[in-house]
Amino acid sequence: MGPGFWPVTFLMLALSLICAWYFLYGNIDWILPGASNPLTDRTNDIDALFKFMAVSSTAIMIFVAGYVIYFGVVFRARPGESREAVGVPVHDAPKLEFWWTVLPSLLLVVLTALSIVTWYKIYFGTAVPALTAEVIGHQFYFEYRYPGLKNSVYSKTEAMHLPVGVPVRILITSADVIHQFWVPEIRLKASGVPGLVQNLNFTPEHAGTYSIACSEFCGPDHSLMQGQLIVEPVAAFNAWLEKEKTAAAAGGGALNLAEGTADAGKATFAQKCSACHNNPPTPFDQKLVGPGLLHITDDPAHPNLVSGKPPTPENIADILQNGFNGPIGQMPNAQANGLSSKDIANLVAYLVSLK
Amino acid sequence: MHSDTAHETHEDHLDHGHIHPAPEGFIRKYVFSLDHKVIGFQYFFTGIFVLLIAGSFAELVRLQLTDPNGAIMSHTAYNEMFTMHGTAMVWMVLIPLVTGAIGNFVMPLQIGARDVAFPWLNMASFRIFPIAVATLFSSMLFGGPHAGWTEYPPISLADGTAGALWCMAIFIIGISSTMTGLNFMVTIMKMRAPGMTWTRMPLFVWATFATALMNMFATVALSVAVGALFLEHVFNVPWYDPARGGSPVLFQHMFWFYSHPAVYIFIIPAFGVVSEVLPVFARKPIFGYKMIAFSSMAIALLSFTVWMHHMFPAGIAPWLQLPFMILTYAIGVPTGIKIFSWMATLWAGRIYFTTAMLYAMGFLITFTFGGLTGIFLASVPVDLHEHGTYFVVGHFHYVVAGGAVMGFLASIPYWYPKATGRMLDERMGQIGFWLFFLGLNGTFGPMHWLGLEGMPRRYASYANFASQYPDAVFWNRFETACSFLMVASVGLLVFNIFWSMKNGKVAGINPWGARTLEWTISSPPPYYNFKKLPYVYGRPYDFDQPMPYQNTDLEIEAFPEYGKVVMPIPTAGAAAGAGAH
Ligand code: HEC
Ligand code: HEM
Ligand SMILES: [Cu+2]
Ligand SMILES: [Cu+2]
Repeated sequence: MGPGFWPVTFLMLALSLICAWYFLYGNIDWILPGASNPLTDRTNDIDALFKFMAVSSTAIMIFVAGYVIYFGVVFRARPGESREAVGVPVHDAPKLEFWWTVLPSLLLVVLTALSIVTWYKIYFGTAVPALTAEVIGHQFYFEYRYPGLKNSVYSKTEAMHLPVGVPVRILITSADVIHQFWVPEIRLKASGVPGLVQNLNFTPEHAGTYSIACSEFCGPDHSLMQGQLIVEPVAAFNAWLEKEKTAAAAGGGALNLAEGTADAGKATFAQKCSACHNNPPTPFDQKLVGPGLLHITDDPAHPNLVSGKPPTPENIADILQNGFNGPIGQMPNAQANGLSSKDIANLVAYLVSLK
Repeated sequence: MHSDTAHETHEDHLDHGHIHPAPEGFIRKYVFSLDHKVIGFQYFFTGIFVLLIAGSFAELVRLQLTDPNGAIMSHTAYNEMFTMHGTAMVWMVLIPLVTGAIGNFVMPLQIGARDVAFPWLNMASFRIFPIAVATLFSSMLFGGPHAGWTEYPPISLADGTAGALWCMAIFIIGISSTMTGLNFMVTIMKMRAPGMTWTRMPLFVWATFATALMNMFATVALSVAVGALFLEHVFNVPWYDPARGGSPVLFQHMFWFYSHPAVYIFIIPAFGVVSEVLPVFARKPIFGYKMIAFSSMAIALLSFTVWMHHMFPAGIAPWLQLPFMILTYAIGVPTGIKIFSWMATLWAGRIYFTTAMLYAMGFLITFTFGGLTGIFLASVPVDLHEHGTYFVVGHFHYVVAGGAVMGFLASIPYWYPKATGRMLDERMGQIGFWLFFLGLNGTFGPMHWLGLEGMPRRYASYANFASQYPDAVFWNRFETACSFLMVASVGLLVFNIFWSMKNGKVAGINPWGARTLEWTISSPPPYYNFKKLPYVYGRPYDFDQPMPYQNTDLEIEAFPEYGKVVMPIPTAGAAAGAGAH
């Protein structure tokens, strides 16, 4: 086989075993986040598959690179050797070829089988999820919805909450372009495709705070599309949900115009209003579906609102809350537009700031 | 029997009647040429030119990432940079270089033909290429495309005119690839020298054949996909926009139906180069000729059946993921066979470490690495973690830069003497190899763990990720530093190419002691390559045997198996183009 073939081979074998040991028993948190303390049952399954692949492909890599280098060293042409000298003229070795076809194929069959088992758990493993949450991608934030809590948890600053130990199903879709929901510690992701709903199933196993990242290019600020996942004990989760529900039942909490900020309103306007009102806002007479909203409080040509009332913050809020059906068309109410009280306060602050 | 001596003359004393005088003057010879060799050079220099531009875009991308908030440009500018980098590298650099440049120059010589089957079509294919390049880059005047080299709608619909120009550029270059595919396929099927049966073909020719097949059949899907996207941009036809009832996932299917074969369009010619270089510098027959040839074809066919592995989380029915996972694993088998056969070729050889050989051996290591990370991506559950992250960027750069580009870089020192008559400087070449090899591993290696830790691709900034994983900043800076080693390597290569044209050692007919047909004629080859038709007795890899060729003065008609399309017949058009008559 060549001088030193067996020692070299054993060296490579030893190296492969050391790597295998490291992948299986070492701390590989620097490769897989949270591998030493898996966040969900799926994290566990996927890490097991990953480690199996890492062990086998590291060994293959060591042997391929090792032999290429070893052959290069021992079979190098020595200086002064005749240019006519040739290598050993073997054309093939059927037995060897048989094994190097069959063994890798077997490895791949095993891999496929293991992958299918985990695949099944991801998509069908949770027959009756105890909690179904929805994730909706928007440029450039994630919106989360819970049963009995539709249209209320909107602000991109709010985090997604999940309870520990409860099998959950996450439904994922998008309101505009394609986004992707990914929590590295869960190891799962799915695209939010407009008009399509995908699901992921898992059970969180311990509490903590994690990042959610958008991993499908969705526009200029794709890299800023980050969310937060708070996994908390069931009691804390339920308390949070109840609080949100009460707030939602009260129309998203009492309307407090003083709470609004123009910046947040500007973002909401771009998402919720720009289909019917020009964005950036234009003067009243430049219509899209609805009128332009620039100078809404100080337009001499248009002193009152469409409702006939003076343009005070309260009266604008009234139109946003209850909608208005006038000669120009139909301005939807807060429920149809999906506005929480906080959103309304923000929007009013924004509109009033448009001088 | 030895053809080495028989061909040493340039004199035309044994012309067949229809051999044409070579065109004279720079313009006729190098600009308006029908000669496959010259067209190969044209592709080569145009491709290298675009490589330099696309490479500088990559460096801008890398510089931006030295700071987690983005060091040098706005998000929008960054998005434009990686989009232009990826698009140009795939369609305007790699495919034209490995098929247009190397395929055009080498393949007809290796089969003993005087040109490709349709020289006019070949010229037209090339002429289209700079037009596509100009169209692509002109899109930057209109704000540039931003949605990545995949230009998925609906987000790409926001690109407007620039997006429409992007579609046009891809459509145009698609026409060029399809025509080249057709041309090469007919050439290989009909114009091999007498006696060159399928199993006597050099492996580079096998690789070119498999590539031609994919070029012909896959490109159509892409053309339809971007054609429809163009109509959506310009005439608002709602194919893909979900807001108007279109299907965005449909685009992804059609895109990847082409683009998965496309990755093999550039890797298989590199396989071919490696299969030529390894036996020549190991001085022994290629191991498992038939398996290597067969596996190229198997990979070419299977490559049409795996496209959805790019779309596992993208919105396909879960059960549909399974067949594509299984088929992707199936493609690993022929790939493994190839790698093992190349390793066995090295065993018990007499290995000469020329620049070409270093690149070929480096290829074995980096390509294997890229192939193995592909195994991770093919498994649906594991891919659900890796998809859309830097792990993928690392994986495919090991395959394209560590595979296709390394193969291409091996082909340059190997065939340069044939193309120019002079040797490429070895010292510069070998320094270049080490720069490239180290730079490649340093740039793309750390991307794997960055991706697994949570860094998504196409991120103009990564402040949030860096706050979770503080080492991210160090590794990104490290990658950027290493990427400049590759820049140095490419710069050195370009310098070497021009420097050696004047200063290289004179090569002679066969400087490497190689045995394929191109090494039996002068360097550079005469205008119509083979003054006398060679008759082929065997495979070109038996270094202990006499050359398997005999020159024949016989009329071509004496070889019925040689088929109908024997050699290019000078047409009026050819005359106009080549300036003969
Ligand atoms: C479905 C289209 C539509 C959407 C969505 C919509 N509006 Fe309107 N809006 C209208 C129409 C139509 C009118 C004019 C009603 C009329 O007077 O006939 C209007 C009127 C208004 C007015 C009164 C303008 C004035 O000068 O008196 C305000 C304020 C307003 N909209 C704010 C908003 C905000 C804020 C949003 C986003 C939450 C929004 N609208 C979303 C259609 C829409
Ligand atoms: C000098 C060597 C190269 C460097 C430093 C480099 C660097 C990069 C980087 C950093 C990205 C990631 C951009 C991001 O996701 O934000 C990228 C993307 C890409 N590169 Fe390269 N690259 C190089 C060579 C190549 C080559 C030879 C190809 C040939 C095909 C190529 C094809 C691509 C493609 C297709 C993308 C994806 C672009 C996208 O996301 O749309 N690169 N490159
Ligand atoms: Cu995004
Ligand atoms: Cu693919």
